[in-house]
Amino acid sequence: MKSFKLSRFITNMGAYIILTIFALVMLFPFIFMVATSLKTPDDTFNYPPRLLPREGVETTLEGFDKPVPLYHIDIEGVKRDFALVETGIPAGIYAELDDLSSTFSVPLDMVKPSASGDQFTLPDGTVQPIMDVPVNGTIMQLVQTGKTALGRFIDPKDFSREVFQVVRTSQPVTKVTAHPENYSHVMTMENMGRSLTNTILVTLFVVIGQLVTSVMGGYAFARLRFPGKDKLFVFYLGTIMIPFVMLIIPLYQLMVLFGWTDKLAALIFPWIFSAYGTFLMRQFFITVPKEIEEAALIDGASRFKILYNIFLPAAAPALATMATFTFLYAWNSFFWPLVIINTGNYENHVLTLTLNMLRGRASDSANLILAGAAISILPPFLLYILGQRFFIESAMSSGVKG
Amino acid sequence: MSRKLFLGISLIVILAMVLSACAPKVVETATPVETAAPVEAAEPTAAPVAEEITLRWRTRPDNQAEIDVYSAVSADLDAAMEGVTLVYEPGGSETSSYQDVLKTEIGAGTAPDVFWIPGTDVADFATRGLILDMKSMADATEGFSAGDFYPGPMYHLTYNPETSMTGEALWGLPRDVSTFALYLNLDLIAEAGADDPRELVKEGKWTWEAFLDVAKKVQALGSDVYGYGANAWWGPYGVWINSAGGNFYNADRTACGLDTPEAIAGLTFERQLYVEDKVAVPYGEDSEPPFMAGKVAMFQNGRWATPGVRANANFNWDVVELPTGASGQGNWLFWGAYVVNANTEHSEEAWKLVQMLTTAETQGKIAALGANIPSRMSQEAFDAFLTFTPPANNQAFLNGIADANKPTAEGPLWAGSWPNYDSIMGPMVSKVLNGELTIEDYQKTICVEANKAFEH
Amino acid sequence: MQVQKTHKSINQTQLIIKVTTAWHFLLSISGIFLIAYIIFPHGLKNIPVWLSYISAILIGLLSIGSFYSAFKLIKLQRQGRTASLVVNYIGLVVTALLFFQNLGIFLGVDALAKTFGSSIGWLSGVLLGYLVYTIGDRYHYRIQIEEMFHKIGKYIALIFFAIFLIKSGLFPALIYLAKQMILPSNFVILFVVIVFGLAIWSMWREPTALYLNRTNAQTEALEGYLFLSPNLIGFLIFFAFPLVFSFFISLTDWDAFGNSNFIGLANYFELFKLNLKQLANSTQDFFQVMDGSIFSELLRFNMFGKSYVLGAADARFWIALRNTLVFGIVTVPLSAIPALFLANILNSKIPGMKIFRAIYFLPSIAAVVGISLIWQWLYNATIGYINYFITVGLDFINSVFSTGYPQAQIRWLSESRTALLAIIIVSAWQTMGFNTVLFLAGLQNVPKELYEAATVDGAGRWAKFWKITLPLLAPTTFFVITTTTIQAFQVFEQVFIMTNPPGSPGTSTLTIVLYLYQNGFQRFQQGYAAAIAWVLFIVIFSVTLLQFRSQRKTGAYDV
Repeated sequence: MKSFKLSRFITNMGAYIILTIFALVMLFPFIFMVATSLKTPDDTFNYPPRLLPREGVETTLEGFDKPVPLYHIDIEGVKRDFALVETGIPAGIYAELDDLSSTFSVPLDMVKPSASGDQFTLPDGTVQPIMDVPVNGTIMQLVQTGKTALGRFIDPKDFSREVFQVVRTSQPVTKVTAHPENYSHVMTMENMGRSLTNTILVTLFVVIGQLVTSVMGGYAFARLRFPGKDKLFVFYLGTIMIPFVMLIIPLYQLMVLFGWTDKLAALIFPWIFSAYGTFLMRQFFITVPKEIEEAALIDGASRFKILYNIFLPAAAPALATMATFTFLYAWNSFFWPLVIINTGNYENHVLTLTLNMLRGRASDSANLILAGAAISILPPFLLYILGQRFFIESAMSSGVKG
Repeated sequence: MSRKLFLGISLIVILAMVLSACAPKVVETATPVETAAPVEAAEPTAAPVAEEITLRWRTRPDNQAEIDVYSAVSADLDAAMEGVTLVYEPGGSETSSYQDVLKTEIGAGTAPDVFWIPGTDVADFATRGLILDMKSMADATEGFSAGDFYPGPMYHLTYNPETSMTGEALWGLPRDVSTFALYLNLDLIAEAGADDPRELVKEGKWTWEAFLDVAKKVQALGSDVYGYGANAWWGPYGVWINSAGGNFYNADRTACGLDTPEAIAGLTFERQLYVEDKVAVPYGEDSEPPFMAGKVAMFQNGRWATPGVRANANFNWDVVELPTGASGQGNWLFWGAYVVNANTEHSEEAWKLVQMLTTAETQGKIAALGANIPSRMSQEAFDAFLTFTPPANNQAFLNGIADANKPTAEGPLWAGSWPNYDSIMGPMVSKVLNGELTIEDYQKTICVEANKAFEH
Repeated sequence: MQVQKTHKSINQTQLIIKVTTAWHFLLSISGIFLIAYIIFPHGLKNIPVWLSYISAILIGLLSIGSFYSAFKLIKLQRQGRTASLVVNYIGLVVTALLFFQNLGIFLGVDALAKTFGSSIGWLSGVLLGYLVYTIGDRYHYRIQIEEMFHKIGKYIALIFFAIFLIKSGLFPALIYLAKQMILPSNFVILFVVIVFGLAIWSMWREPTALYLNRTNAQTEALEGYLFLSPNLIGFLIFFAFPLVFSFFISLTDWDAFGNSNFIGLANYFELFKLNLKQLANSTQDFFQVMDGSIFSELLRFNMFGKSYVLGAADARFWIALRNTLVFGIVTVPLSAIPALFLANILNSKIPGMKIFRAIYFLPSIAAVVGISLIWQWLYNATIGYINYFITVGLDFINSVFSTGYPQAQIRWLSESRTALLAIIIVSAWQTMGFNTVLFLAGLQNVPKELYEAATVDGAGRWAKFWKITLPLLAPTTFFVITTTTIQAFQVFEQVFIMTNPPGSPGTSTLTIVLYLYQNGFQRFQQGYAAAIAWVLFIVIFSVTLLQFRSQRKTGAYDV
């Protein structure tokens, strides 16, 4: 019995580990998105990458008119914060005579020719004088093998303590600072504020429109008898399989004809009729018991009244499920807006299009691009947190055997 | 029951929205922004008082600062032009899709009246009949002289494809010109102990070999730094081809010239940078992020990259001329022109706008932004340009267009289709620079494929 | 009295029917004139030829229906009523749509969008009203309080809604509409709309219906179509018609500038123009065996000791087709197998399962454009996280196992070998959670008893999975694979955003839909693009059919 429990515990642990790994894989890009959207531009270029938005720490020093950056400097195994006060100091790379791979970088003006005046022949044949080089407080006899540039770092508390080393590979002192103003900045770029309201408007229209037409159509298919019903229904079902790209070209021509190119109308009216939604509502309405409806009919209620008073209230969960489905489709669609709302008409851009524009215009600012991405991605996430059930159900209902 | 109310409200929402939908159209008649209403909005019965005509114009700005400058220019010109309301639209910044979108819009009838297009695309727009030939209007305009602008762009802008003669048409006026330079990360070069390219230029030693030497020295600092970086489009690789004495086309621009020994020599050298010596940011990877991150010593780009570098670079930087090969720098003279939509209803006003957009004054305002160089040849323009620092070494850009270096004007392809040519050439060159295609195989096939862009 | 009244109303009904009959005669005659006007060369110049033919056919059908209805109405048969209602309804809808289009109501959405941003806040007041209303529901045991809350809720909602409407520019809109009505053309159309409406009323009214002996079946059929009509009309205009139209376009050389010639199947011939030639040796130049100005090399292969080369007139199309197929074939298992695996773990009823399910589902609700932008930075070869993780991982492995795997900077999106794979990973990542949810739903339908019985028989985990889970999950698996395949074959957005220029490096990520887009909206060969769309459809259709077949075969296990 005990061993059974133990093995069960181990299996559960294993399951959790696997689940957690996958959860991290699923979440990481979004965490990255939010974290990067709060960074400064140069922070986004840092390598190795760091997740949290960080900024270099600067300090004011007496005798320097500008604040100077602080760096972690390793002195005899102790890490200290030093200030970088000068860069680009010409320096030489000096090697030990018996081991040319052991080198030290020292500013040129701190080096003097050795008193001996001896010379050394490098492997490539050039002859260099031997120099007196100060290394860690002692003078060594070394030979110059190359050139480089160094930065001068000083102890803010004791200016006389100074260190020379390569700036690029030095480790700056940083602190975590978020820049939420990236969001307000990006909202003014590319008309993103307007495209956000456009997206909301279009989504609202499409969701409500699709609900209305689908409920009416679904009711007709579920409950009314009319000639050609079965054939029409099969036709509807068949079209669910047809990929959207089939319609791009003819629909584009149709929009040109209507004068709807560049207009929000093109994003709304073609999309408020859904064969799939009609099918979904029909499947639901079929399950509503017939008796109530028949009683109402005998009482002389009209079909509209029956649909409104009996079917709609019962269908609320199904409607919510369909609404989430349509919402995601309308909110996230890109291909059709790309084709029909050309870049010229800024006024009528939707979020996905603006993101596409932003990608070109701010190609060197990952923070802005990802702030834009967050603006488009986070609203669905928010709704998802509020009504997770309907999102999951809309996925499941798409698995209804058709 | 409450659901009922909710649904009821939703229904009202639709109805009401449809109603309120037409709302601010009234406001629009006061400040017209949209294009004319759909089918029969022709006869407005209540005659509006002194109706202004609306001209829409568009450019392809790279960043918000540029949008702001153009918006300001538009507002100034709007005040200066009587009876005309100007509406400025910033177009997309994607290199290729900007032109495609314009063409689609012209097809759909929603394109702006005046727009900027890159020099390479003038022929395609002109031969498709999408832009207006303004020759007759220009001839009737006093004080207008095509000779005020750089002759390279004007050669193509006055080319008549039917007679194959230049000077017999006028498709537009150039906005500005630009050339390539190398943006230098001085810290990285100093750390590598390499020679300062600006000094080498002064000594006259800034050759391909010197360039390769600097790149190799920087590369030796570590595998995460690069000596050279450029973006993956025709401009950068074209430079190496030009610099070796080659060209994209044959002499009269009627066939492919990419397989000549000179053109091959240029590409071979560039391939060496990418494949054999591996001193460059891998071809196809955007070089801008690593350059801004301080990991690229020499970043090849045009003047338009300057505002971005000013804003983002956290290191000492400057610019320098391109290194010279067998045939000099091989630099491009990039240019783009303001052209007029062939279907515009106000061609006279559009022509006037094109002229006003290319006056010395307007060009000065735009150049002050730091993006490009004025397209009018004048000493004042040069002097003003030199003051727009950083970079300190602005002269590098001017040296790029100085006559001695013979920059190749970015030219439209009158005998074929530039978009098709580019879409054949680009992928094949990228295969060469990625090391997936040998130079020999490239030389054998490139022109057979590329010549398909000349059939028409 | 009663008799007289009935008599009067019967007389009235007879008159109404006569008037409607006359209207139908008028309608069919004017229909004929209208057709003549449209088809006659100088009729409607600003409308394309194909449209004038389609409208002519539509008007012709209506005229015939109208004539039929008049004919039947004279005989006082109920079919006349049905036909009249159908004809007038279609007439009403078409003219009303024309009227709205003329008024600019559809385009008015743009204007609404302008003010929507400032007025949208007021809509939250409607929600507040709804909230108050629902509070009332809690007091259902005290009717008075409930009704009070309901009333207050309604008023709050209405007031806020009114404010919203006014803020969105209701009054300027009404003024604008009133002004538009002065235009004679609008006036005429409105008049026609009203006439159609009156004609419908004349047949729909109860006395006429009774007089013409309506049956229940007739009423139900009419109601059925009435309910279906909003859906059906939209469906016909925006789906069925474009579908047919698409095929027509594919037979022309239509560009985006309004020029088109009928060229038959030439587009399809161009797509499928292939040429197979034998080579002297495997390295022989392509141009020595084929005309390079027509064909491009697609692939070479060896068979029976001989070398062949295949050339295609449009090699890019075939490359795109190959890339799309590879994309589909790899993406589907890559997103389905881990999903099946995860669903099995989640199904074991351990606590916290819902949280994991919720997390896995997240990527599938985010916009592909946004996702692609995120991954583009993750994939960055020089500063991206993915290469960083690989570097760290390799360092770890090398130090722990003292191996010497070399560090390599993978250029995910700029190298032909990895670019397509990079896109595949993103797509699989995005659909995996969705598929997990589907599998989980399927698993929860598997009866527990089967597992219990198997446990009694001593079956292990794997045996249970293979013998019970998998067969019973077949319908779900079929659905997952089919939908993922259909989706995968239409991949576009990821490629469009993540590679620059789209389809690069070279042609390694060129997909069919991207190629369609390039042809339709960059090279402006819309006829050719339509042909590509049809080829894609046939590919998708046949793959789905294939899957259907294999599902049928394994369907023996279906419950």
